Amino acid sequence: MKKIAIVLIVFILCSSHDMYLKMETYFLSPDTDATIQLYNGTFNKSENVIDRDRMQDASLVGNGVRTQVENAQWSEKDSITLLHFRTKDVGTWVAGVSTAPNNIELTAEDFNNYLEHDGVLDMLDQRRKNEQLDTDAVEKYAKHVKAIFQVGDEKTNDWQTKLGYPLEFIPLSNPYDLNTGDTLKVKLLRNGEPLADQLVYTDYKGTKNEHTHEQHVNNTASHDHEHTNGDTTEHTHSNNTDQPKKETHSHGNSEEHTHDHDAEEIEAHAHTSGDQLRTDSDGILNINLEADGIYYLRTIHLVNSQEEGLTHESNWATLTFEVTHGHGEDTHVHTHDEEGGIPSYVYWIGSFVLLGGLFFWFNRKK
Amino acid sequence: MVLLAHEVSPADQEILSNGGLWAYIYVGAKHMVTGYDHVLFLAGVVFYLKGFRDIVRFITVFTIGHSITLIGATYLGIKVNEHIIDAIIALSVLYKGFENLGGFEKKLKIKSPNLLMMVFIFGLIHGLGLSTRLQSFEVGTTQFLSKIISFNIGVELGQILALIPIVFIISKWQTKKSYDSFYKAANSYLIIAGIGLFIYQIYGYVNAH
Repeated sequence: MKKIAIVLIVFILCSSHDMYLKMETYFLSPDTDATIQLYNGTFNKSENVIDRDRMQDASLVGNGVRTQVENAQWSEKDSITLLHFRTKDVGTWVAGVSTAPNNIELTAEDFNNYLEHDGVLDMLDQRRKNEQLDTDAVEKYAKHVKAIFQVGDEKTNDWQTKLGYPLEFIPLSNPYDLNTGDTLKVKLLRNGEPLADQLVYTDYKGTKNEHTHEQHVNNTASHDHEHTNGDTTEHTHSNNTDQPKKETHSHGNSEEHTHDHDAEEIEAHAHTSGDQLRTDSDGILNINLEADGIYYLRTIHLVNSQEEGLTHESNWATLTFEVTHGHGEDTHVHTHDEEGGIPSYVYWIGSFVLLGGLFFWFNRKK
Repeated sequence: MVLLAHEVSPADQEILSNGGLWAYIYVGAKHMVTGYDHVLFLAGVVFYLKGFRDIVRFITVFTIGHSITLIGATYLGIKVNEHIIDAIIALSVLYKGFENLGGFEKKLKIKSPNLLMMVFIFGLIHGLGLSTRLQSFEVGTTQFLSKIISFNIGVELGQILALIPIVFIISKWQTKKSYDSFYKAANSYLIIAGIGLFIYQIYGYVNAH
């Protein structure tokens, strides 16, 4: 019975999908074929593909030129939408996708659960204060996602390009000028203006050979369900976490508590892993780049709507980029093929020298 | 390319993401050919053998062993720590060099274990390493079994490609006077390489935790 209740709760909670532009590596070589994955689900698992007609904008920006992605550049694989492109010139590039708004109707309970588990805590508080927790909702939502990646060694200023999305993260310095241990300032813009006091969740997925090991990498499964018109709600969810059965964590109101595994199963379906930050009065966040990894920022800006037929309007934004160790001004950006091991030629030369030396030694001994 | 880092190479992921089952065959073959530990172990096995029939028999047993764990573990999602499994594979290289030099009899004063059985056991271990490698890629869920089998076919093709020059060099050298020195040098090298690779993987394990 308890299990059924948990499944039902998870089912109810499942009403939203985060969207991310993800890459296997954010360090690419010039003039090579590359792929950006458009995930709709969580950072770790995409639950469904995105139709091209849902995309209001899909752009690549490099060397000061913004190029619209063509339909032919998209493909689908399993539940992932793939953007294929050829890297051109060296530089720091930006990719962005913005979707057209959609509406969703939610019962009061479903809406409250979604607010809690997607970390839209300000709206939840507002509903509590205004005694609106039993009010159903009709929400208009749209998603705006970006990735910043580095092609070759040379940095360019494209990282600060404003794509003009309704909600958008803009770093205040080039992430690829920074290394593990640094702090990155990021500004959040709403219709081009700084958005103050907005909750933002940041996390990272550690890359192999990461050099800082405060293992806070959260590879947990998250809750996955579609925030669509309600026709095609998907409820697949997975849990491939190695996390212990009990865990202490914060829920945003600075309360900490422990919970058992059943509770954690529900918690694992939240989208709020990592650090919970709030933009300052200038819309700025400070992100500690504490380890090598792919960093992802997410926020949902949800407000009451006066538009006819709606109660709320939300805009969702994410940003991803990669951080590595020890790239000073004098060092070069390197691809992961070159990273983290002894180069093959060193091994082969060393092996032949050793083998030859042993051969001559045994031959002389005869 | 780096030495046995067993990383998810973005280039390989790119090939797998954009290609079909052929891509899995290619990456499987590439991993076998460039995966020094597998090649060194095979070289150690071939050194011991006499005649083509012997080679086919032992390599078939090794193939059956690694296919069981490669396909089984990947299909069931059984994952092990990549550094630990690669450290154990490194020990298999050391083992073969030690055995070929008569280490069991000379140093340990015991009869060396049945080679066919050991090759099968090491085949299972190498397969687990290959499975861990395959699982580090984003494989997706469609044609899952076909992809695993394609990767396995690639591994077998890579194995054959790696064996051709090894068998050629060993068989040609066997007729030379210096073969005894070559035999000792090559198997001593296997011991040193096995130790070196073991330390390298343990270092990787410690620094990743």
